[in-house]
Amino acid sequence: MMLLRLITWPYVRKHVLRCTLTTAGIVLGVAVFVAMHTANQSVLYAFNRTVDRIAGATQLQVSAGEAGFPEEVLETVQSLPDVEVAVPVIEATVQTGIPGAGNLLVLGVDMTGDRSLRDYDLENADETIVDDPLVFIAQPDSLIVSRQFCEKTGLKLNDRLTMQTMAGPREFTIRGVMSSQGLASAFGGSLAVMDIYAAQMVFGRGRRFDRIDIKVREGVRVDDARQRIQAALGPGLQVEPPTSRGQQFEAMARVYSMTANITSVFALFIGLFLIYNTFSIAVTQRRGEIGILRALGASRALIRNLFLAESAIAGLFGSVLGILLGVTLARGVAGYLGDYFGEVYGVGEKADQVSADPRLLGLALLIGVVTSVIAGWLPARNAARVDPVKALQKGRVQVISEGENRMRRIVAFAMLAAAIACVFVSHQTFFFYLGYMLSVLAVLLLTPSLCSWLVRWLRPLMKGLRPVEGALAADSLLQAPRRTSGTVAALALSVALVIGLGGISRASYSTIGAWVQTSLNPDFFITGSETITQRSFRFPESFADEVARVEGIDEVQPVRSTRIIYQGTPVMLVAADVEKIARRVRARVVDGDRETMYAGAARGEGVVISDNFSLLRRVNRGDVIELPAPNGLLRLPVLGIVVDYSDQQGTILISRELFKKYWGDQTVNAMRVYAKPGVDRAALRQRLLDEFGHRTRLFVMTNEELRAYIMRLTDQWFGLTYVQIVVAVLVAILGIVNTLTVSIADRKRELGVLQAVGALRNQVRHTIWMEAAAIGVLGLAIGFALGGVHLYYILDVAKRDVAGLRLDYLYPYGIALLLLPVLMGSALLSALGPAEGAVRASLVEALEYE
Amino acid sequence: MNVIRLEEVVKEFDGKRKVRALDGVSLEIDRGEMVALVGPSGSGKSTLLNLIGTLDRPTSGEIYIDGQKLSGLSDTELTLLRRDKIGFIFQFFNLLPSLTCLENAALPLHLRGWKRAKARERAEELLELVGLKHRLDHLPDELSGGERQRAAIARALSVYPPILLADEPTGNLDSKTGAEILDLIRDLHARLGATVLMVTHDAGVAASCERTITLRDGRLAGDEVRVSRR
Repeated sequence: MMLLRLITWPYVRKHVLRCTLTTAGIVLGVAVFVAMHTANQSVLYAFNRTVDRIAGATQLQVSAGEAGFPEEVLETVQSLPDVEVAVPVIEATVQTGIPGAGNLLVLGVDMTGDRSLRDYDLENADETIVDDPLVFIAQPDSLIVSRQFCEKTGLKLNDRLTMQTMAGPREFTIRGVMSSQGLASAFGGSLAVMDIYAAQMVFGRGRRFDRIDIKVREGVRVDDARQRIQAALGPGLQVEPPTSRGQQFEAMARVYSMTANITSVFALFIGLFLIYNTFSIAVTQRRGEIGILRALGASRALIRNLFLAESAIAGLFGSVLGILLGVTLARGVAGYLGDYFGEVYGVGEKADQVSADPRLLGLALLIGVVTSVIAGWLPARNAARVDPVKALQKGRVQVISEGENRMRRIVAFAMLAAAIACVFVSHQTFFFYLGYMLSVLAVLLLTPSLCSWLVRWLRPLMKGLRPVEGALAADSLLQAPRRTSGTVAALALSVALVIGLGGISRASYSTIGAWVQTSLNPDFFITGSETITQRSFRFPESFADEVARVEGIDEVQPVRSTRIIYQGTPVMLVAADVEKIARRVRARVVDGDRETMYAGAARGEGVVISDNFSLLRRVNRGDVIELPAPNGLLRLPVLGIVVDYSDQQGTILISRELFKKYWGDQTVNAMRVYAKPGVDRAALRQRLLDEFGHRTRLFVMTNEELRAYIMRLTDQWFGLTYVQIVVAVLVAILGIVNTLTVSIADRKRELGVLQAVGALRNQVRHTIWMEAAAIGVLGLAIGFALGGVHLYYILDVAKRDVAGLRLDYLYPYGIALLLLPVLMGSALLSALGPAEGAVRASLVEALEYE
Repeated sequence: MNVIRLEEVVKEFDGKRKVRALDGVSLEIDRGEMVALVGPSGSGKSTLLNLIGTLDRPTSGEIYIDGQKLSGLSDTELTLLRRDKIGFIFQFFNLLPSLTCLENAALPLHLRGWKRAKARERAEELLELVGLKHRLDHLPDELSGGERQRAAIARALSVYPPILLADEPTGNLDSKTGAEILDLIRDLHARLGATVLMVTHDAGVAASCERTITLRDGRLAGDEVRVSRR
């Protein structure tokens, strides 16, 4: 402790900027980790809170994914001996269209039984209407809303609200206002309750419910009741506690968690290199100090522990700052994620508050400190090994001994060989990740040798540009191999991360673009919701026939898409006229024969699954999958696998007839519409709106609009990726600034001599700029190569573990070209400060500097 | 004619306490003189040398180098003046460790923009002058102390400057090597006619110079001439 105060603290005070830059890598790595995971958790927490508040006293829920089931199921459930209360529910999210109001979560409930499960806590109600549930049912235009919704919209008791329903525009009257707690605070306070049968009409549910909420009898164990109710209903329906919905949501959000983890690991790895670099240099610079301590009786262990303590403190400092920064960023990220999940999964839930889990923060702190200690371990060990006699001599040139270099090369090549061997058994997850790790480590171990070779190759070029400045810049890099290779490694890792993310982004856009081109080729898409991803509103089947009769329409393909639970995860089930789709769509086949698979699926003999479903669920052609349906468990073989990006969790295509039979659902939520050749599409669209807009809720989206929407969703998905790219580049720049700052300090005397013998300030600046540029070139060269390797592996990770995406290897040359000026420019910019510091420093001090 | 003139030069350093390193020093040094600057530790010798060498600026007072008043010159002008008129020889040699003997000697010439071949030719000539022709491609690490100082002297002479400033040039050498270096400096002084100002602790070294200026507590305490000034 005393040594920290006497030795470490003065050093830190003297080198505040350098020490701050050292911890910057840890700060950013921890901040990314905390921001992403806190945001994820906050959105999840908000979702769970909504589920919890809506559930009220509900102990079990009967559902069939998103698809719902016929009303008759309710009678069956109510007749079971374990069930005390069973009430039907319809739940849907709608856009209000009211400025500032956002989305509204609508609960359709049966008031006769629902109040024994949920407390409406009405603060302001027409008690005649709401107190008597029968009167509430008899007034199907009754609406109960939350106080918060009223405040947002300016509505109050007895006001009327017009909603576009599947039966056309309908007016609803606010007959109750819930106080802003409990149930009313669900979904951020944007909640409305209506009669369930009115909800069926509004949302086009027909004679179906979304789920049944259950309270079991007193004295009955919930889990026992669950098993018995499940047995009674069969495997086609799910009987789960309300919390299982949160787990399903979590499964969907897992993709983001994995992406966040990969970026955090990289950022922390880069931070590790920065700290290792700085501590290595510090040990060299403080050799004299170490020599004095050893001469005065300090043991090797004491010296080692001193430096380890310094690295732990640096890690602690960096982690605390990182946590603060991460929590600050988490709000923005949570809002972003909430919007994205709402768009893609239809589970719109804004995280109004960021809930930082203390365990997560503790983990982040631990990760930061451990990373820092690991980074500081080797320098600490080297500090302990400093020979006091040699240390007290005047500074000598620091080299990595040729022996040490040779050993690194041997180990690196051995790792490379092992990584190549792992490629041949990469179908096994362990060997795949082992190969990944070995290849990255091998390149990093080779970095000193690569730097040395590259600088020696660059030196004549630099000297040719400027004889003195170029030579000095090159020699500065050669003379300080640890400093050089540490910074170049950090820079190369950043570049590799950017290349990897850029490559995935490029491949995704290319692949998704190709899919949109081939599979989403109808002229129009008709839905009951504002976007194709929302499925709250449904049309009756007969509506498709009406649309088909409109002049100018060639073909209408009705589609019913819904999420069902497959092995605990929500996946997309698409029910359509498979024969018609096969005629119009040339989806890319991954496995199977195109004609055979679609013909078989059309006949109801099997299913066609998407490539990502196959990869994520490990399902192959020929496997039989079980689909839970209200009318029984459906077992079907997989007839073929195609490329389809309709859903991140995967898609199963079955015939509409099979769907109607097993789900008892005649409705459709979307229609793929083909116009006759030569028809004016704008006029046709207007005809559709004129014909049907006044009597039903519908939206007509052109093909261009849908493509733009999908590409926008893709942009949103990659939005956070681009933020990660910025983080990577920032860390790289910090690495360069750090190195240059240290380099200037190291070469204070040398730069002083240069000026003493007649170098102008600009000539000194050029030396430093050229050094910075050389570091940039080295980092880019090695980073581009490492990036190519990293991209190969990250594409496979995306395929096998993250999103089931089979993406082509497309090196992002565009991004690489963009990185060139960005990093070279950043390198030069980062040299400005250190260069000015060097030329404006006192010459006298510089010449006396040891 | 004086090539170095100081008028009431004061130099103060700001630190935790203000330190007055030079307290109103006035002196003149004629062209071609070989002068020793002596005094106890902390007397201001190195400070005075640094001011004359334009490495630092006085707090007050005037300095003239070859008739040129230094106050009012910009940093660039000072550097150009230093480049053309002053050669430095340091106690710890201050050779750039990554450059060879030849490259170190040629360094000032490259900084002036001399063509590579011409700079090399001059550097070889200088290294031959100081007796290092056989060490052209050696790095400083590969030279003895005396050889390093010779290389540093060759660098200082790169454009045959009229003024040579030496800060304890033998301070880091053994007595035999130190004597050799001193002989070299005297020899070059005689042959090239440069004005030499040498800071030293060594009474013997001081005695070998034509003139000895003594500083004590930042003030002139003595000025002894052994050879009459031209």
